[in-house]
Amino acid sequence: MLRTALIIARKDLRLTIGRSGDLAQAAALGLLLIFIFSLSLAPGQRMSAQSAAAIFWMASAFCQVIIFSMLHAYEENNGQKQGLLLAPMPVQSVWLGKALAGIVLLMIAQALFVPALIVFLGQEFGPVWKAGPSVVLVCDIGIAGAGSLMGALVQGQSGKESLLGILVFPLLTPLFLGGIRVGSLAFGGADEGIGDWMGICLAFDAVFIAAALPLFPFAYNAEG
Amino acid sequence: MLLRLRDIARFYGPRLIFSDISLDLSGGEILLLCGPNGAGKSTLLKIIAGLMRPASGKVLCDKELNIGMIGPQSCVYSELSASENLRFWADLHGCRFSDKDMQDMLERMRLAAFADEKAGTFSTGMLQRLNLARVFMLRPDLLLLDEPASGLDEPSLAVLWNETAAAAERGAGIVMITHHPREAPLSNCRVALLENRRLCVYDGIDAFPGRENGPPAAGTAAAAPAGGERRC
Repeated sequence: MLRTALIIARKDLRLTIGRSGDLAQAAALGLLLIFIFSLSLAPGQRMSAQSAAAIFWMASAFCQVIIFSMLHAYEENNGQKQGLLLAPMPVQSVWLGKALAGIVLLMIAQALFVPALIVFLGQEFGPVWKAGPSVVLVCDIGIAGAGSLMGALVQGQSGKESLLGILVFPLLTPLFLGGIRVGSLAFGGADEGIGDWMGICLAFDAVFIAAALPLFPFAYNAEG
Repeated sequence: MLLRLRDIARFYGPRLIFSDISLDLSGGEILLLCGPNGAGKSTLLKIIAGLMRPASGKVLCDKELNIGMIGPQSCVYSELSASENLRFWADLHGCRFSDKDMQDMLERMRLAAFADEKAGTFSTGMLQRLNLARVFMLRPDLLLLDEPASGLDEPSLAVLWNETAAAAERGAGIVMITHHPREAPLSNCRVALLENRRLCVYDGIDAFPGRENGPPAAGTAAAAPAGGERRC
């Protein structure tokens, strides 16, 4: 399953890089959000670390919706989905492949958000900023697990981006909360039970993965 | 026996498409499936492939089959080149496929000159040839071809028939939807007519009571010509 998932992820990344506009569109939406929030600050004013972390995850959430809608759309137009379903592999390989590609793309976008937070929202790295990428990865695993499942569910529906957002945002609330609490520490915020929040994030990662593995074949095999 | 269909039925909403469809297919055998538009040929192919569930009946296979299918769509990623498309599907199916094998296949499909061009720039016929290359390259046990000749010019048609015959020779079972069974220059094939919700299978094209260039007119399937065997 991992071998075929990696092949699918590599293909999706190749397609996304080929159409660089798709990822740029997702990242631009997040950057625009950060810029708009910066307009609420007086010149020289610094936003609190927790608010900045909340804006970071809000930008990531919108970005995630576009990314997973895009990744599943690659199989929508020319019958490639039929080819994937006939391949000798578990259907969950498609879920895992899309999730892996989604994590990579989301982290690329998030890498662009961090300098924007520093420039527009006056953030500075705190003493434990090196833990930031691991925290982001832990949250992204759950976000990608749920996003890859829900992305398959809404394919072929009209208004799939908004539908995906409606389905996925409530599910991801615990991860966003954890990401905000822990992420604020990277920007010099106070340590408020970081270990507990990381535990919650890891637990929700496990829940989304455990739910997606049996549910994905039903979401992806739906007969047209 | 490679494949057995037993009492297959399928509805679209409340409308019965077909029922009591039973069929056996051996390795190396070619079955030409024909019938009027809307008879359910493509639906039957999807049921055989496992892409659609029948309302009743069973699809039985002796072993887990590697299935290759050509449908109405090309299965091609338009942002990838012809060779990248073939490489992706070969890797996914775990096929050991050298660069030379791929080059040979692209040459047989007259696509070698376009190997590094994005498939999105291809014409309909070129996409169909690339799709054929994809499926034949995977060397499936069961080939399901839904009007594979559509959009192909004469030289490409010759390649299609050659590759189909070669696949049957190495033991693959083949079900091919066609509106012109008599035009398929394939030996050792049976013809199945899906009409009026039933399937009639004729042993050989000569036994098939169709017109010269198409399926039989409604009602003519009831009587098989002398020497032919019909099972409905």
